[in-house]
Amino acid sequence: MTKTHSVRLTTRDHQEISFNCGEDEHLIEAAEKANITLPSSCLEGNCGACHGACKSGDYELKSHREDALPHEEGGILMCRTFPKSDITVEVPSDLAHITSGPVAERTSEVVSVEDIGGAVRRLVLRVLPDANGDMGPQFEPGQFMELEIPGTDVRRAYSLANAPNWEGLMEFLIRIQPNGKFSTWVDTQAKAGDTVRIKGPEGAFVIQTGTLNARRFVAGGTGIAPMFSMLTQMAEFQDSNESRLYFGVNTEDDLFYLDQIEALKTQLPNLTVTVCVWKPSENWQGFSGSPVDAFAQDLKDDIAKGVQPEVYLCGPPGLVDATEETAEKSGLPHDNVFCERFLPA
Amino acid sequence: MFCYQCEQTARTDTSVGCNTERGNCGKDAQTSDLQDLLIYAVKGIAQYNQLARENGKADNEASNFILKAMFTTLTNVNFNAARFTAMLQEASEIRDRVKAAAGDKAASATGPATWVIPSEVGELLAQAEMAAVRSGEAEVGEDIIGLRALILYGAKGVSAYAYHALMLDQQDDDVYAGIEKSLAFLAEEPADIGALVGQALELGNVNLRVMEMLDAGNTGKFGTPEPSAVRVAPTAGKAILVSGHDMADLAALLEQTKDTGINVYTHGEMLPAHSYPELKKYDHLAGNYGGAWQDQQTEFADFPGPILMTSNCIIEPGPSYRSRIFTAGPVGWPGVRHIENHDFSTLIQAAKATPGFAQDGDDKTITIGFGRDAVLGVAGTVVDAVKAGAIKHFFLVGGCDGADSGRNYYSDFVEQTPDDTIILTLGCAKYRFNDQDLGEIGGIPRLLDMGQCNDSYSAVQVAVALAGAFECEVNDLPLSLVVSWFEQKAAAVLLTLLALNIKGIRLGPTLPAFITPAVLDVLVENFDIKANTTPEADLKSILQKAS
Repeated sequence: MTKTHSVRLTTRDHQEISFNCGEDEHLIEAAEKANITLPSSCLEGNCGACHGACKSGDYELKSHREDALPHEEGGILMCRTFPKSDITVEVPSDLAHITSGPVAERTSEVVSVEDIGGAVRRLVLRVLPDANGDMGPQFEPGQFMELEIPGTDVRRAYSLANAPNWEGLMEFLIRIQPNGKFSTWVDTQAKAGDTVRIKGPEGAFVIQTGTLNARRFVAGGTGIAPMFSMLTQMAEFQDSNESRLYFGVNTEDDLFYLDQIEALKTQLPNLTVTVCVWKPSENWQGFSGSPVDAFAQDLKDDIAKGVQPEVYLCGPPGLVDATEETAEKSGLPHDNVFCERFLPA
Repeated sequence: MFCYQCEQTARTDTSVGCNTERGNCGKDAQTSDLQDLLIYAVKGIAQYNQLARENGKADNEASNFILKAMFTTLTNVNFNAARFTAMLQEASEIRDRVKAAAGDKAASATGPATWVIPSEVGELLAQAEMAAVRSGEAEVGEDIIGLRALILYGAKGVSAYAYHALMLDQQDDDVYAGIEKSLAFLAEEPADIGALVGQALELGNVNLRVMEMLDAGNTGKFGTPEPSAVRVAPTAGKAILVSGHDMADLAALLEQTKDTGINVYTHGEMLPAHSYPELKKYDHLAGNYGGAWQDQQTEFADFPGPILMTSNCIIEPGPSYRSRIFTAGPVGWPGVRHIENHDFSTLIQAAKATPGFAQDGDDKTITIGFGRDAVLGVAGTVVDAVKAGAIKHFFLVGGCDGADSGRNYYSDFVEQTPDDTIILTLGCAKYRFNDQDLGEIGGIPRLLDMGQCNDSYSAVQVAVALAGAFECEVNDLPLSLVVSWFEQKAAAVLLTLLALNIKGIRLGPTLPAFITPAVLDVLVENFDIKANTTPEADLKSILQKAS
């Protein structure tokens, strides 16, 4: 008979959750049996949504995509972690984002698909109410949904780009990837009125409420989606936190959403934006380099002035790792950094 | 942070007050410090406006800001640090304006009036100690600090009630002047016990006028409360829950939800809405849901629609309902949507997008609405019943409820009252016993619900009218006050009762932490104020004394 071990999770807000896990099951499925829904997505070790850090005990970390794994001591992907003894794990989520019971699944319909430049499409869905008019759970800025290609069981996770609302509207920024299954469907087939199964909201990459700290948002490409959701809600709530957005792309041709960013600046007087182009043309007037470079320059000034900003990162693993490293080197506490890494699938 | 303004403040054998990273109410240290600084800034506005008033140039907009700022710092009102930094900047601008109106006299104001209010948060917080409630204790001692706190917390309560009155279009220059006088008095760091007690009682008189305005505002807008049966079970359909105290918010919401098919429920201190003709006329004011404020985390989580939290008494919203709770007026919680100017469109949208109640609950009602007109309407019967010996005693058991287990005192007390006694109640403390069937005396229910804590004026008027009918002083009536306090509105009402020279009040479940033994001695000596013991002993003592 398979041995069973105790798993003790500590959340970011210092709450504890315990459940038992057999040696032949991964942490996510064992938690699910205990009616605990941990943040996760692909369940194949590819997306990084279920990352955490094992602080004590033995475990086997099965095959996974290397860049999905956070570069920290004891870093694990819970969907690929099989305990060999009692273990303790720290998860970068508040207790509020660890739900009981299954994640909600709903049907939505496509409202619009729009080419917004830079090989990015803005997909707008509207959740269809159930017979009772119920629109299902509200998302928080920074969370993601899993979207299913109609007629298949292929799902991909995308961050929400708009602010929570009670009309059931959900916006996503989809970069068209060669051979990307979902993005190809969006690019070639999706049209208004199509129905799309959705699962969520999920994820613990959310804004810290109630602080007066300065906020730094570092986004690579469509990693701007959750930042846009956060900043739009900040504008709606009239948050006064001094904020800077660093939005990076590879070339000018990859730029998108600049008009929306300008509109956001008028609603958030305390927001400054640096658009960063990594390989610009000669005509580029803005910042040349990666958003990490721009962030690093400002962080030096912040630290010199005694300002310890909250840092929100979203983008490919290289960008996230580089930003985390910059923050760590400058002495910014680890707890001030919140990240979401996305990997093409 | 240091805060000891409410009943649930931390107490150990050797110390009182919340002084860690987070108070027992959930307020974090940063927000607590910003609240102290806002009060300090508001004292400065009061100092200048008092002088401007002497010039005939009083700035009533500044006075209204004082009301809102003070209300915002009450227990369980606003936990949003950003709101306080914004209000501090607003205070800075208003103070400059009022200073100009004070003219040459402005030069005489010192202390808070001359504070240079920084715009940067770090610089603000660095000065928090100056504004702390116990600042200067080393020089003047804890008794003086306690009396200053009594005045400050009383002034917060008076301001909160005056803000409620303002929302009902009632304002009075004398009230503004009275509140500002008390704040300007505190700005001078007074240390004379006699002067402090005198100012506290003067503030109690200001509050009596405020309660009268609030009564006029409510009855003027919504009619005279009348005895009414209130459904305390759900009705199938979409639903909105309204908590807090603000009847003007509720009235606006009822108007905006008319003909939408959405039912509106009251919670906590909004229950008395069902007794006002101009509110109960709306068929979709469907009933009352839940009990007092301290149960909100369970009750709101279970409520199948959005919640509007008006005026005060919010506690940390749980994750399951954080997205569907909305705040209005002085209330705030970080990450919770705030509604300005009665625009409830998003709230209504949320009601449509949430399930509502699937089915009707069991028919169950409670009876409320015994405001002063209803009670005095049967005054003749009551007086005759007293004279005939059918009614031996009246108890006013009311005030705030809270989570403390010691508050069972009030349900036990009411349960043990003899059958020939009448219980008047108000405030949310009544949820401890308002489902008890206490029967009637000669057709008069033994339990008479007079309304919100905001309706204390009604109780005072009834006491005064009974004293008139019996041709005696209020203190000579067969009436005992058993008052349950929690926060600063209750402090204001207590000061009013003392200003009216009401004696023998039983105050519980525990005495305020800022009332030091020496200050308590003063209150006992002058007003025979008593702390709760046990319901049995207190009841026995009251009835023995009466007979």
